[in-house]
Formats: sequence, C-alpha cells, structure tokens
Amino acid sequence: MQYPRENSVSFKAGVLSVGVHVTLLAMLLISFNWKTTHPVNVTNVELWDALPAIETPKPLPTPEPVEEPQPVVKEPVVEQEVKPEPIPQAEIVIKKLPEKPVKEKPTDTKRSDALAALQKELMQDEMKKPDKPVSSDALKKLQQEALSEDKAAGDQQNFAAKAAANAGAIGEFTNKIKAKIRGNVNKTLCGDGNPELKFEIGLLPTGELSAHPKLLKSSGNPACDDAVERAIITSEPLPLPTDPALFAQFRNLKLTFKPNDS
Amino acid sequence: MNASADMSFFGLISGASLPVQLVMLILLITSLFSWWYIFIKVATIKQAEQGAEEFENTFWSGGDLNKLYESVTAGRRKPQGMASIFEAGFKEYVRHKQQGRADVSDIMEGARRAMRAAFNRELDELDAHLPFLASVGSVSPYIGLFGTVWGIMNAFMGLSNVAQATLSQVAPGIAEALVATAIGLFAAIPAVIAYNRFASSVDRLSVRYESFMEEFTNILQRKS
Repeated sequence: MQYPRENSVSFKAGVLSVGVHVTLLAMLLISFNWKTTHPVNVTNVELWDALPAIETPKPLPTPEPVEEPQPVVKEPVVEQEVKPEPIPQAEIVIKKLPEKPVKEKPTDTKRSDALAALQKELMQDEMKKPDKPVSSDALKKLQQEALSEDKAAGDQQNFAAKAAANAGAIGEFTNKIKAKIRGNVNKTLCGDGNPELKFEIGLLPTGELSAHPKLLKSSGNPACDDAVERAIITSEPLPLPTDPALFAQFRNLKLTFKPNDS
Repeated sequence: MNASADMSFFGLISGASLPVQLVMLILLITSLFSWWYIFIKVATIKQAEQGAEEFENTFWSGGDLNKLYESVTAGRRKPQGMASIFEAGFKEYVRHKQQGRADVSDIMEGARRAMRAAFNRELDELDAHLPFLASVGSVSPYIGLFGTVWGIMNAFMGLSNVAQATLSQVAPGIAEALVATAIGLFAAIPAVIAYNRFASSVDRLSVRYESFMEEFTNILQRKS
C-alpha cells in the first residue's frame, strides 16, 4: 500500500529503519557482555623473600660419600693404594657444592638488608621491624652453617624440620581447600554410592583459579562431575598459606574428592 | 544441552528450533516494516502540518481569493492538505457562479460537498499505515510469546529423557525461547508509541481542516 505523496520519503525512511535495527543490534552486542569470561592469561609474578627450600637440600647427599670411606679404614691396608683416590674426589665434591651458594647469597643478603631498611623507614611498623632483621640474621646464620662442613649435620636437622613443617602446612591448607569446596557441592547430584573424582586446579597467589578446573578422573556421573566443578568455581577465593614459599606447592594442585564421604 | 554451550546472542538464535526461528524472522520483518512506516509517517505528518501552517498564514493575510486560487493551482504538483480543500471548494463555488445560479444555499451546498470530499481524501492519506502500526503493536508480543512457549515446550520435552534433571539442561532452551519474546516486544513497543502519537497528530490536523472548512464557507457565503 503506497501513496504517491510518500514516494519522496519512502526510500529515506527505509534506509532509516534498517539503520535503527543495525544500531540497536550493535548497541546490544557491545553494551551487553552475554557471557562473563574470566581473563585466564594473567601473568603472575612472585616475589621471593627467601630462597626456596628446594635448593638447600643439595648438601644432603654430599655427606654420604664421607661416610663411605670410613668402613674402608677398617679393612686391610692392602687396598689403601686404591682408596685414597675416591676420598679427595669426595672432598672436592663437598667443597665445590657449598661454595656456589656462598657466591650468590651475599648479594641477596645485601638486597634483603636494603629492603628491610627501606621498609623500616617507610612503614615504621613495629610489627615488621623485628621480623626482617631476624629473617636476614637467620639467612646469615644459615649461610655460615652451610660454609662450615662440620655443621652440615645440624643443617640437615634444620631442613628436615622445615620440610616437616612445610608438609604439615600444605596438608592443612589442602584440607582447608577441600573442606571449603565440599561445602559447596550439591551432594544430591552424586547419587547414593561413594564416587571419587580427581581434579587438577591452578591457583593464583590471591587464591583465585588461574584456569578452569581440569577433570583428571571422573566419577562416572557427569552431573556429579559438573556439581564438583561448579563447587570449585564458587568457592573462590580458596584459602592459601600466607607464606609465599609454600605457595609453589599450590600452583598446580591435584585434589581428590569424595562428595559423599563426610 | 550444556550450560557452557554458546550463549552469545547469535548462538542463541542459531541454536533455536525451526518454528522459533521462523517466529523470529517474522518478527524481524514486521519490525523493519513498522519502523519504515514510522519514518514515512513522521515525514508526511510533518509535511502536512507545515503546509497547513503556511496556507493559513497566507489565507488570513487578507489577499484576494482569486489570486490565492491561482497561486495554489499554478504549481505543477497537485495542491496538498489545506490548500487542496480550499482549491476544491473555491473551484466548485466559481463554477456555480459562472453557470449563473442565483440560489445561495445551492452554491454553498455544492462548495461544502466538494470541500468535504477533499477533506476525506486528505484524511485517508493521513490515516494510511496507522492500522498496520496498531496491529504490530498488539499482535507481535503474542507472536513472540508463541515462539517462547514453543521453545520452552521443546526444552522440557528434552528434559523428560534425562534421569536426573538439572537446571543446566533446560536453561539454554529457555534462554533461546525467551529471545523470541524479546524481539516481539522490541517490535511492539515503538509501534504502539508511534501509533498513539500519529493518531493524536492526525486528529489535531483533521480538527484544523474542519474549522478551516467552516470559516471558508462563511467567507464564501458573505461573498455571494
């Protein structure tokens, strides 16, 4: 139905009407984020206050060669010509290994001392004042101990104690993480049996997920898997230890869940 | 049927079932047409209002009616709006005068009838497309609702095959279906607003035309 009077405006009106639809659609698509996506590619930087515990256990194997020659002494003298050779080798090994950290650590202590001094001036926090010197002193002591071969045994004890403490903390926080996630699981979706599933989750230092949780072992029930996955996502942020040295253990965490196991 | 399926706007449309897509297509076409008519009506009603304004100014400025008639009919285009009413009435009046009829009431009746006919033609043009806008405004929400109901029916039918019903199994289907209602409302709301606006503009114009007719009849009666 077209009227002669409208011929002049009909084309313009048609263009305008298409324009209205295109602009409205564009506004809809731009202003609305139809699916919320978490930015996954976050570059996470870690600041290390102290050297990680993984490097220090190296002295552990070195004392063992020292013990080996001891039984040799008990044996007859005939073999003495042969034996002196491994002993110096072992000594070289012992001497070389501790020397490497000696070269690196003084710069670190300087830095940490400078950092501590800066923080003292800037923050003037009574809480932090005692902490920093103690840690740097502890580092110095550790280095001195590492230098002297005699105290290697004492070092071992220290490391063992540290490792035990670390393991305890890691276990504690994995249990905390599991408990938080378990509270969010909709258990009715997992049926009556005792399904077990395994998830691998990547964590950021803030306790948020660095990536979507990965299902390693399914329970056989996709609804249950989905429920646990949703529970992991809803329980962000996950509890993490405040010690940055421990965080390395949590960056890629493999968790086993038994939703019906109370 | 997974919650993590494509939930973008185009994903929702392409994932919908065929009847729902058809409904969406119909609604899109009606929306395009209704906007087209809206812009046409905006332009023509504006034209008519401006024409009435200009003609009233020249008419009441007190010039000679013969001169005015000549200037109205001189243009290549047919006179529009109020000018066409004036042209029809004055032409009829002059013809009666030339035929030498003495009865004033006959002459006035003829001029009145001619003006009435021109007025009806004008009103018909002004009212054009308004019924279409009215139907779009009232019917397109129902069409959209039909699409939504169909989509939700499908979503729940799919749910009946599953032993454990979760929200994530019905949610995408319902979201797809609701897009149809959204498009229906998107087509209906502007159409209703435009219909009400245009209807009132046309009413005011017709009142203006009618009062001009009465006044012009009086002037002609005084002349004869």
